[in-house]
Amino acid sequence: MTRNVGIVGGGHTKWGVREASYKDLIQEAGKAAFEDVSDVTPDDIEGLFVGSVQPERFAFQTHVAPMVAELLGIDVDSMIARTELACASGQAALRYAWLAIAAGQIDTALVLGVEKMNLPRQYDAEAQTSMANVMDREFDGVNGFNAPPYFAMIAQRHMHEYDTTREQLALVAAKNKTHAANNAFAQFQKEVSVDDVVESFPLSPPLCLYDCSGVTDGAAGLILMSEEKAREVTDEVAWVTGSGQTCLASNSINNLPSFSAWPQATKAAEQAYEQAGIDDPLKELDVAEVHDCFSISEIVEYEDLGWVEKGEGGKFIEEGRSELDGDIAVNPRGGLLGCGHPLGATGVSQALEVFNQFRGTVEPERQVPDPETGLIHNLSGSASVHSVMTLARGRP
Amino acid sequence: MNEHNDETTKETGGSDIATDGGTDRDVVELPDQVELPRMLDFYELQTEETTQISEFYDNLADGQLTTTRCTECDELHFPPRIVCPECHSDELEYVDLPHEGELFAFSTVRAGAPMGMEDEVPFVLGIVDLGPVKLSAHLDDAEYDDLEIGDPVEMKVVEIDGPVDHERVFYRFEPQE
Repeated sequence: MTRNVGIVGGGHTKWGVREASYKDLIQEAGKAAFEDVSDVTPDDIEGLFVGSVQPERFAFQTHVAPMVAELLGIDVDSMIARTELACASGQAALRYAWLAIAAGQIDTALVLGVEKMNLPRQYDAEAQTSMANVMDREFDGVNGFNAPPYFAMIAQRHMHEYDTTREQLALVAAKNKTHAANNAFAQFQKEVSVDDVVESFPLSPPLCLYDCSGVTDGAAGLILMSEEKAREVTDEVAWVTGSGQTCLASNSINNLPSFSAWPQATKAAEQAYEQAGIDDPLKELDVAEVHDCFSISEIVEYEDLGWVEKGEGGKFIEEGRSELDGDIAVNPRGGLLGCGHPLGATGVSQALEVFNQFRGTVEPERQVPDPETGLIHNLSGSASVHSVMTLARGRP
Repeated sequence: MNEHNDETTKETGGSDIATDGGTDRDVVELPDQVELPRMLDFYELQTEETTQISEFYDNLADGQLTTTRCTECDELHFPPRIVCPECHSDELEYVDLPHEGELFAFSTVRAGAPMGMEDEVPFVLGIVDLGPVKLSAHLDDAEYDDLEIGDPVEMKVVEIDGPVDHERVFYRFEPQE
């Protein structure tokens, strides 16, 4: 017995290298979220879920959910927690808020994702240490396996097994960064061509710098409500129609099922599609915000989210099927490649983007024509976990 | 480290303090840098007082790469365990792994290395297929441009010189001659 749950409001900080502290970012996103829906106040919030990955390292702070409650003036009387699921922490927070409301435990929740990754002393190695530690630190992180070389190997295997090309990877980065150039909050605001991508610094070949998402400060917030409460405050709702998540008893290199496919994404998507009643995702989804932490990721996701045959992801971008006017508009926000990736905030921002696409409030250059259905996807760590949520403009 | 502190004290000490707001404020001294603390050192503590897979590290120190196998269900694990993830038996034995394998995938790190690894940039990383297991590895004496998938590589043991008071070892791989 579950209840319908919808997103009724949300807000965003500017993302990038911010002259702002962790606490500043929380306050900016919280203020923006509450200002978006005037009939909801902090007094209405019964559950608070904060997505944040490594505040202990980046901000030297733990027990961050109560800090959010204090900064935004929220007396939490039912549920409060921080979620940590590496790069999917924001979607994990959203998923728990949805579950708590669907289960009837609470009616109104605030989901806030926040990460402060650029340290005032510009010590990049500290951020990279955090990224290597999302792998099995003792046996994988210890070798220097942080994200770029690991996803470079995914790209290498995908190119080796399916003849995916360097240019197809670059098409993903160029598409998403060009969307971001029309997104006011995005970290990277410059239109980028395929040549720009392949000529950028060869950071971890075959991946170049522009194939990689950024090191980003940022936050985003969402307010979720039960259907009954949502109807009291707004007519504009993004309804959660499905939510799936999969981990196949594996996290370290030896135990991952594949280095060119993510069966966890397929299973998570199948769960969400089934809940949402989606039979043909390619036909039934209008907009998707997928986890393009690296250009190769989006190509693997076209395949493993069930939109195209395995190995055909490169052709999918080449044929323009993920463009704004394609079969599914993929990452109109600009993706992680264009917006940056403040780890805990990304999933929250993706869901807000789908909501804003439904409402028609994004910049006109990147507005998808009349979207009715959407999807958000995150992978995390060694891509050992995949999380998928489907959203719809019409009530389920 | 202490030398640096002494210098800082000299620079900010004495009459200079009077220019800072014009008061005799006490100074709270912090070091400009902290040494790499144990918690930011990637290598696990390896003694039997600190980990129940110390036998893995003892074997490696003796020159042999090993891992655990379950004596109940025969499942081979890597990384080594103390409980079999298949059947939850804790009756595990250490078995030898091959020291030679093939390069399954590789890349290189040209910037953005984690703490303690910056001095090694650029370095080459790979996934090595040993047959029974695949493991991630730092590849020594390897140039990215010279490598291909399937290249033969072999294990070597390296000693870890770091901020703990026991001897530690780890494995790396290198291209076979």
